[in-house]
Amino acid sequence: MSGAELGQIAVNATLLSGILALVALGFSLVWGIMNIVNLSHGAFIVIGAYLTYWMHELWNVDPFLSVPVSMAVLFGLGYFLQRSLINQIIRAPLLATFLLTFGLEILIVNLLNFFFKADTRSVMTPYSGTGFTIGAVRVPYIRLGALGVSTVLVLLLGAFLTRSRLGRAIRGTGMDIDAARLTGVKAPTIYALTFAIGASLAGAAGSLLSMVVPFDPNLGGGYTERAFVICVLGGLGNVVNVLIGAAVYSVVEVFVGSRLPALSQAVTFGILVILLVVRPQGIAGKSFN
Amino acid sequence: MRAVRWILLAAVFAALLVLPRFVTSYKLLTYTTVLCLAIMAQGWNFIGGYTGYAAFGNVAFFGIGAYTTGLLMLSKWQLSFFPALAAGALLAALVATAVGLPVLRLKGHYFAIATLGVAEALREIAGAWDSVTQGATGIDLPVRSDSAFFYYTALGFVVAGIALTAYLVKSKLGYGWVAIREDQDAARMLGINTTIFKVAAFALSAVFAAIAGGIIAYQNIHVAPNDFFKVEYTLQMIIACVIGGSGSVWGPVLGAAVYQLLSTYVWSHFLELHPTVLGAIIIFFVVFLPRGLMELLRRLAAVAKGGRFGSDVFLANIRASRLD
Amino acid sequence: MRRTLCSAAGLLLGSMTVLAADTIVFGAAISITGKTAKEGEYTRDGYQFAVDKINELGGIKVGGKTYRVELKYYDDETKPERTAQLIEKLINEDKVNLILGPYGSSPTGTAAPIVERYKIPMVEANGSAEAIFSKGYKYTFMILSPAKNYLRGVIDTILAKDPSVKTVAILGENEAFSKEVAGGAADFAKEKGLDVVYYELYPTNAQDVSALLTAIKGKNPHIILGSGHLQDSLLIVKQAKDLGVSPRAMGFSVGPSSPEFRANLGKAADYVFGATQWTEVLKYNGEDAWKTPKAFGDAFRSKHPNYKIVPYQVAESAVAVIAYQKAIEKAGTIEPTKVRDSLAALDIMTFYGRIKFDSRGVNVYKPMAAEQYQPDGNKYTVWPFDVAEKPALYPMPPWDKR
Repeated sequence: MSGAELGQIAVNATLLSGILALVALGFSLVWGIMNIVNLSHGAFIVIGAYLTYWMHELWNVDPFLSVPVSMAVLFGLGYFLQRSLINQIIRAPLLATFLLTFGLEILIVNLLNFFFKADTRSVMTPYSGTGFTIGAVRVPYIRLGALGVSTVLVLLLGAFLTRSRLGRAIRGTGMDIDAARLTGVKAPTIYALTFAIGASLAGAAGSLLSMVVPFDPNLGGGYTERAFVICVLGGLGNVVNVLIGAAVYSVVEVFVGSRLPALSQAVTFGILVILLVVRPQGIAGKSFN
Repeated sequence: MRAVRWILLAAVFAALLVLPRFVTSYKLLTYTTVLCLAIMAQGWNFIGGYTGYAAFGNVAFFGIGAYTTGLLMLSKWQLSFFPALAAGALLAALVATAVGLPVLRLKGHYFAIATLGVAEALREIAGAWDSVTQGATGIDLPVRSDSAFFYYTALGFVVAGIALTAYLVKSKLGYGWVAIREDQDAARMLGINTTIFKVAAFALSAVFAAIAGGIIAYQNIHVAPNDFFKVEYTLQMIIACVIGGSGSVWGPVLGAAVYQLLSTYVWSHFLELHPTVLGAIIIFFVVFLPRGLMELLRRLAAVAKGGRFGSDVFLANIRASRLD
Repeated sequence: MRRTLCSAAGLLLGSMTVLAADTIVFGAAISITGKTAKEGEYTRDGYQFAVDKINELGGIKVGGKTYRVELKYYDDETKPERTAQLIEKLINEDKVNLILGPYGSSPTGTAAPIVERYKIPMVEANGSAEAIFSKGYKYTFMILSPAKNYLRGVIDTILAKDPSVKTVAILGENEAFSKEVAGGAADFAKEKGLDVVYYELYPTNAQDVSALLTAIKGKNPHIILGSGHLQDSLLIVKQAKDLGVSPRAMGFSVGPSSPEFRANLGKAADYVFGATQWTEVLKYNGEDAWKTPKAFGDAFRSKHPNYKIVPYQVAESAVAVIAYQKAIEKAGTIEPTKVRDSLAALDIMTFYGRIKFDSRGVNVYKPMAAEQYQPDGNKYTVWPFDVAEKPALYPMPPWDKR
């Protein structure tokens, strides 16, 4: 492999890891704090993508500017879904929430299919496809911008979780819900807020993705899978773990994608299974049950 | 009371036996599909229902059954259907054992996703392994026109499945499974070799799925990776168990029948919103009736003995599982 | 009272049987939603257009009776197993007379054994994988040129412009039809002395091929050929632009012939070549109602003003119905096995080209064509050279120099 190709792979992986970190962060937050593997995470991503698409189509809103809007909408949706639906069975065995979020995913994706049809959409702006070149390596502006937005959001989330009262309440509830309640924390509200934050991060990721890949209602499934693999790779527990997982995963995906595209899922899942058997807490995480 | 139940069962069975004479070939095909779903659900019931390990990738074995049956029938030995089917079931059991040994050590979510990964990986391999499976082009089994053949074959296996489940439930294996589900550590301390028991359940589920796969392959004639390794099949078997009641002998069969009825009804009336309705049904059952219709029947019986209708029948699960 | 009732019932029954007997119903399962939704729409519109035209001209005259024709179709959601199910439904429950093919080789592959089982012919116009015809099925007939020929014209056009071209990269969707296109393109390229420096198949639902394009960029090929469907060609062009992958020429099997290609890509579509089964400038003169490609195009546009250019899927679907018409008329009956035999012996010239099937059921008698998008905003037929509207433009300027 030439130096140029290696360089381009490195750049691609870095840019991809930004978006994937965002995708995985919301997922890991919900999983770590509430012990829910949210299979409808992908559906939230797609909703975010459609929001950006329609804002751009109808009112010419720049996709980057639509990120806060899609985050707000998904925040509300996530809060509502958790409070009204998921909360009802949150203490039931694992399979229950698994199946529930799965049913939710089927429902949301089909509704999107019904209203928006299965046509492929993408958000094309005047600056789509532009970028700058360093030597033989090309850095597209949009992917760089997406990396920027992701970085900002990741930092904000990290700060929120460690420094704000609410953030600490969320982490405390995740560690020991009974102890947290003894200190006056209202667990259902915390859970709803956590889920809402996870959904809003998914929405942001969707908005960014709408600029980078052509999408249709089925976009989400693949990203939920990736989020899962990243969480297993990096380990649950804190933001840094997810970033490590995203970085490692991006390298693997870009590399395998260029060498063995027909077997990329097989390789990814092969790695996942091996990892789960050998080191289930991930590269950096602590033991988790 | 029990005599009445047996008479009813006999009547239903007799009706099922003569069904092919009264319906069109097309309807018969859909019934065969339901029966195959029941077979898959019965298999899943062993690992997901009795043992409590929610496998999310059993379509892998469905696909293995389909391809093995097909390839052996098309091979130079030109095996006939039943030997090929048996070979498919055997191969599926072997793969399940090989995969199960490491993967069954995982818990909960991890096990589910690991099995899902195995299914997805097999789908890709089937699509890429051109020299054996013809890749994305797929293979075509010999054409067979009498739909009644598929129907009776599937019916036979469903009945065998019911008998086998009923037998195993009362055996050491069955009790061991439930013990593992309720408290695996305690089971281990009581001397149960949890690994063997879990792998046995997993391998059994694979055999059932492979048999269903072989029958559907022969019925549909054309076998391609994306059709026979799709996650929808796993979902259907799980939903069937959820609707009917996992961890019971009749639950999977009942669930498969109800699911297919719902699905066909929804398909003809709400074609475009078919998955939405299915998603809503899944949500409904998971929230209100996680133990399925068998549980509903049990609760209704309790109400008949003097409980409150609404909250005891439907809200019991919510009351037990919600967070306030 | 009873006599009135009886005669009323008799009249009703009589008229119903008369109605039923005088209509030939064509059944089809088409992808109206899902990945190939757009192509499925073209297929349906093509079928319906021909059906309407036949009825307009008085229907099909067979054995002294005149039959109206009707199209009955269901959406298979681009799910091949759904296609098979729907075909079973059409044959068994809806009792259609004859089957028209779905869009795509994968669904056609699941449908072919089904019609074989019921011995009802299927004329398919949108599944060009030859693998379907290697199983000895007698009841499926393919209107279009086989998959392996798709990209030949593109390669020939480029070589004619620049005989010094040496290297080619081929990217294909891992799916029945696209595999054959890619394989056929690779074989043809090698025949012409080119070096296939990159050859990879990506999964059907791939949404990101930047890793592959990065590898291709490393090899710096003169030509990049893509074999997939509309969505794939859009994806590859967009990501190639993103990554600055600028070969001397780029061509796709499916995609460029659709109006969606330009609509989605804008200026990025310029210089891209596309394979096509048919365009309006070809010089065919047929024995059907429209006779020439141009006349067909004009007639279709007057009924569907939103189609500025007529995609080839519309034309080939329409001609499938015409092929049936001619076959039924020659057979003198609508009995399926006789219609099948008549199709096997068919040899007609139409606005779409020659329709004749070899012993497998494949139409090897009709050539492909190639088109190119040019910066003036239009798409031109550039090959075969004797019917080319304009010469091809070559090479493709690099992305950042436009």
